[in-house]
Amino acid sequence: MSKIEKERIIEKESAVVQGIELTADWNRMFEQRVVFDYDTTGLDKVADLAGGESMAWCYQCTQCIPVCPVNTVGGEYGPRKIFRKLQQGMDLFTHDDLWKCTTCANCLRVCPKVVNMIEIMPAVREEAVLDGNVPDELQEAFENTFEYGNPLGESQRKRADWVKDAEVEVPVMKEIKREVDVLWFVECYPAYHHRGKDATTALAKIMNVLGIDYGVLGTEEKCSCDSQRLAGEQGLFEEFAEENIKTFSKYKFNKIMTTDPHALNALKKEYPKFGGEYEVVHYTTMLAPLMEKLDLKNKLNYKVTFHDPCYLGRHNGEYEAPRKILESIPGVELTEMGRCKEQSYCCGGGGGGMWLDGFMADHVQERLSENRVKEAVETGADVLAVCCPYEVSRFEDAVKSTGNEGKLLVKDIAELIREAMG
Amino acid sequence: MANQDIVIIGGGPAGIEAAKGIADLGYKAILVEKRDRLGGNPDEQQYAALTPDLRDTEEALEEMIAPLRDNPNIEVKYNTLVTGAEGALGDFTLKAVSMGKEIDIKAGAVIISTGFQHFDPGRETQKYGYYEHDDVLTLTDAEKMLKAHNFVRPSNGEKPKRICFIQCVGSRDRQIGNEYCSKVCCGISSKQAIEVRQQVPDCKVYIFYIDMRMYGYWENEIYWPAQEQHKVNYIKGMATEIVKKGDKLLVKGEDTTLRRPMEVEMDMVILAVGMEPSEGTKQMASIFGIKQNKYNFLETTGGPLDTVSTNVPGVFAAGACTGPADLEDSVSAGGLAAMKAIASVRKAEMATA
Repeated sequence: MSKIEKERIIEKESAVVQGIELTADWNRMFEQRVVFDYDTTGLDKVADLAGGESMAWCYQCTQCIPVCPVNTVGGEYGPRKIFRKLQQGMDLFTHDDLWKCTTCANCLRVCPKVVNMIEIMPAVREEAVLDGNVPDELQEAFENTFEYGNPLGESQRKRADWVKDAEVEVPVMKEIKREVDVLWFVECYPAYHHRGKDATTALAKIMNVLGIDYGVLGTEEKCSCDSQRLAGEQGLFEEFAEENIKTFSKYKFNKIMTTDPHALNALKKEYPKFGGEYEVVHYTTMLAPLMEKLDLKNKLNYKVTFHDPCYLGRHNGEYEAPRKILESIPGVELTEMGRCKEQSYCCGGGGGGMWLDGFMADHVQERLSENRVKEAVETGADVLAVCCPYEVSRFEDAVKSTGNEGKLLVKDIAELIREAMG
Repeated sequence: MANQDIVIIGGGPAGIEAAKGIADLGYKAILVEKRDRLGGNPDEQQYAALTPDLRDTEEALEEMIAPLRDNPNIEVKYNTLVTGAEGALGDFTLKAVSMGKEIDIKAGAVIISTGFQHFDPGRETQKYGYYEHDDVLTLTDAEKMLKAHNFVRPSNGEKPKRICFIQCVGSRDRQIGNEYCSKVCCGISSKQAIEVRQQVPDCKVYIFYIDMRMYGYWENEIYWPAQEQHKVNYIKGMATEIVKKGDKLLVKGEDTTLRRPMEVEMDMVILAVGMEPSEGTKQMASIFGIKQNKYNFLETTGGPLDTVSTNVPGVFAAGACTGPADLEDSVSAGGLAAMKAIASVRKAEMATA
């Protein structure tokens, strides 16, 4: 068979190679044109895994593609496309496609066949992790978590340092030695990241003013590891889940409040599999009904748009509490982005994406967070309100990289409440 | 006095159900069958299992036929071919050749259930090489092999490693003249794909299609299990031709979602042939003066509201002689025809009384 028949010439409308934009004439490349085989070994390998079964159920209706956040930014991605590649012999276990999914669940929301990437991705990634086929950045986050108890690589001893910066006294369980109503599971980014801590200290102040009987675990708390689990580190997740459950068992409390929707997801849905069954709520769910008790003296005069975190909204069904809080803040005018609530667009941080920004840069035309920030700017909002600790830093970076500095502020809902308290 | 007996021509699923219904209602049914057995195409073509429930064909047919045996209200005339008809509603005389002898059959009304025949893929075009390549088969050929639990390549007797089905062969085709969808082939291909995966687990199975028409429960009863549990691969895109390559078949077409040509090797290819009116159906149209549609199926008068009455009073049609029909359609129409035929002879009787 001649070369011409066997291969095809691809010419892209625009292509950037090593930072240089190539016009169509220069970016011609050859690709095999004719499909000679449908080697489904790769598909069978995924479908044979526990959790991977539904990969083989795709009937190519293509509803997942327009809602896949990675495809939206030029990632040529989505379950339908992965299925077709698997049907042509792709080995997902060693392919870059394995790491692009943020497990945002927008595809699952619209999939008539319930092809469940939230189960498929962790199952395949777990195998890749065991084989050592993991992008370096992600491997570093895994190693940090393993070594230090958090993906940032900060010392476990410093996990409660934010308490010192708080305006109010924060009850730490091992010090107060008593039963509390609410055990506050702070999680890593709220405890260590400088912008995370801004929200955490604000939340502590709000809790104190509301007179909530609560305590934190301080240096006894370890990462919930939900994102590490979704990125394939099931072993690490189990180890940490067992440790946290052991710590929880030392204390008496009525319910757990989490700052982080990812921790909410882990504690609510995964910890029961290891014997840890608790009432778990996100902080917005807990504060929403208590807002009228707060004396909010400061009128904020912000036009605010709210970004629904994937793991609070689609994964755990909470859309109203954050909005209720925002609407109860004097001066705040809430305006919605087109993609909101169930349709919310992913920030790119979930499912390991928080630790794959460098990797993803090679596969997309813009970052997911940039795409989202542009949408927020289009609403004319002054503030992009968030309530997931991944988002403040991701969106603030994106505000800068999209040239919107000065136009849009990114604030956690807790920071906005604190600001209104005066 | 009007004759109240009903003659049914054709002993397939529709005719069997009609005869049983008439007898159950206390009337006399005369079932005329050209072969020496009942069961129609499912029996004659040795279907392995029925669609959609994969029930064993012999067992299901036996369940249908058993109530006809020793039934005082049913007379089955085997080896009998209707050759002519005279009279009208309430007083028909059918000319027939029965066991080599010419006979008359008298009846008040007639139900025609002479069914369909499978499209012959060599009839007009040779693009799939049905008569040239041993390993190119039709659904009916495959059905026989599956029934015998001997699903092998006819060319060498070995078990196949890769096979594909090509959908819509002889259907939805203006050049062939069959513009209609044959309705059952998507389901039957999927059913056979499941059976192949069960009988030859190492064999990969592909289905090339324009669009899968798995209406109603066939979607969840056949299509989804075929893909999800039995790992049948559905590829959107038709194969246009088959050429021989060594001892394999090279199936050429376009993968439409990839927008790329495909040339894939197969051990066997099964053509999902559609339905056409049987010779018997066309003969009965001419004998009774029943209108036929442009595809030569018998035309019923009421569109979707009356699927069994014809332009000739007292003559009804049921099942695949009226157009592509699955087993459910045929059995349902058989029951309806029984009811309408009895109603017609009762009305004729009341009119003469």
